[in-house]
Amino acid sequence: MIDWGLAVKICFFGLSAVFGSLALLIGAIYAFEKILKILEKRLN
Amino acid sequence: MIEAIVHGLHGLLAGFLHMSLPNVLMIGGGLLLLYLGIKKGFEPLLFVPIGFGAVLVNIPLGGLMEEGGILRTFYDAGVMTEIFPLLIFVGIGAMTDFGPLLENPKLLLLGAAGQFGIFLTLLLALALGFSKLDAVSIGIIGACDGPTAIYVSSQYAPHLLGAVSVAAYSYMSLVPIIQPPIMKFLTTHEERTIKMGVVRSSVSRTTKILFPILTTIIAGLIAPMGVPLIGMIMLGNLMRECGAVSRLTKASENEIANVVTLLLGITIGATMEGHAFLKPQTLVVFGLGFVAICLDTVAGVAFGKLMKVFTRGRINPLIGAAGISAYPMAARVAQIEGQKYNRKNYLLMHAMGANTGGQIGSVMAAAVMLSVLKGMGNI
Repeated sequence: MIDWGLAVKICFFGLSAVFGSLALLIGAIYAFEKILKILEKRLN
Repeated sequence: MIEAIVHGLHGLLAGFLHMSLPNVLMIGGGLLLLYLGIKKGFEPLLFVPIGFGAVLVNIPLGGLMEEGGILRTFYDAGVMTEIFPLLIFVGIGAMTDFGPLLENPKLLLLGAAGQFGIFLTLLLALALGFSKLDAVSIGIIGACDGPTAIYVSSQYAPHLLGAVSVAAYSYMSLVPIIQPPIMKFLTTHEERTIKMGVVRSSVSRTTKILFPILTTIIAGLIAPMGVPLIGMIMLGNLMRECGAVSRLTKASENEIANVVTLLLGITIGATMEGHAFLKPQTLVVFGLGFVAICLDTVAGVAFGKLMKVFTRGRINPLIGAAGISAYPMAARVAQIEGQKYNRKNYLLMHAMGANTGGQIGSVMAAAVMLSVLKGMGNI
């Protein structure tokens, strides 16, 4: 007996989490790069 | 006296007498892998030890996979404990330059899109009657990532380990054959000729050092089951980028990776014992793995087309196909296909960005699936 509810949940949560985590990572990369540039400017 | 000679001869013939058709067929399979690795150059570092392992384990009475046998010892110590795939990950991290991805972080989304096939194949496997954990292991073939496939199946579907790993590595080496027709079918001539400009922004060393640390923390918090996978790949990358431990980096990408690849290959080959391997289920696993990689390519190119629309034609959808984990083959395929239609088009660095995104995406996909299953009490 296939538990389709579980299967759909795995796919839905799975794809959302993969996209979500990578999107979060993209945001973090941009944010860190920006912060670093500001810090460098201030130090100069 | 004559009786002793007869017994002695019988002992010498025992191997032949115990030989069965599945063993003969799998020795043939092992020889085929050796041929593909040596003569055709398909993933030789893995196909040669896997092929030889398959030959060894199908010679009757050798006892290599019996309790105390040498390959069983390697298998128990390295595969079942996950040590081998994780050490390979340290090496992969040490070899991978995430620079092209950091120069254009948006490409990470292509790495996420390239994982669609995993989830769709999971549904297909469930529909065909595989158990949840078997279906997860089969879906992971679509990650086009050998160590991840081995890591997941060794823990949750060890009876499928041989089929899953051979399928994953076979399709990885077949990426240059599988992907181009799909890429051509899904894109217009105009899309294939889109020129992507040179990436101008350079990434600072600090960002390159912070990236593996940040990725480990974010990915680890979202999918804790994937901490060993993402942690090891990012440890290797941190060692590479920080430059403070060059001896460890070199050891990780050379000596350690080489030794572990040998042991991993031969032990995976040893799981291909005829009676256990030659089942209709194995063929279904290979079929589903193929479907997974095709679906990944379809999703990657389709997402590339979507990004093309959002960026007003600045993204060539062909690089979407590189959003899988087969590194760097998938990126090279995008470059070759792009140049077929526009000789002045250099997509390689952009495709490399998508490809390294695919590496992170595949690990995340595996980690997320395991974490979701654990959260639902299925592991």
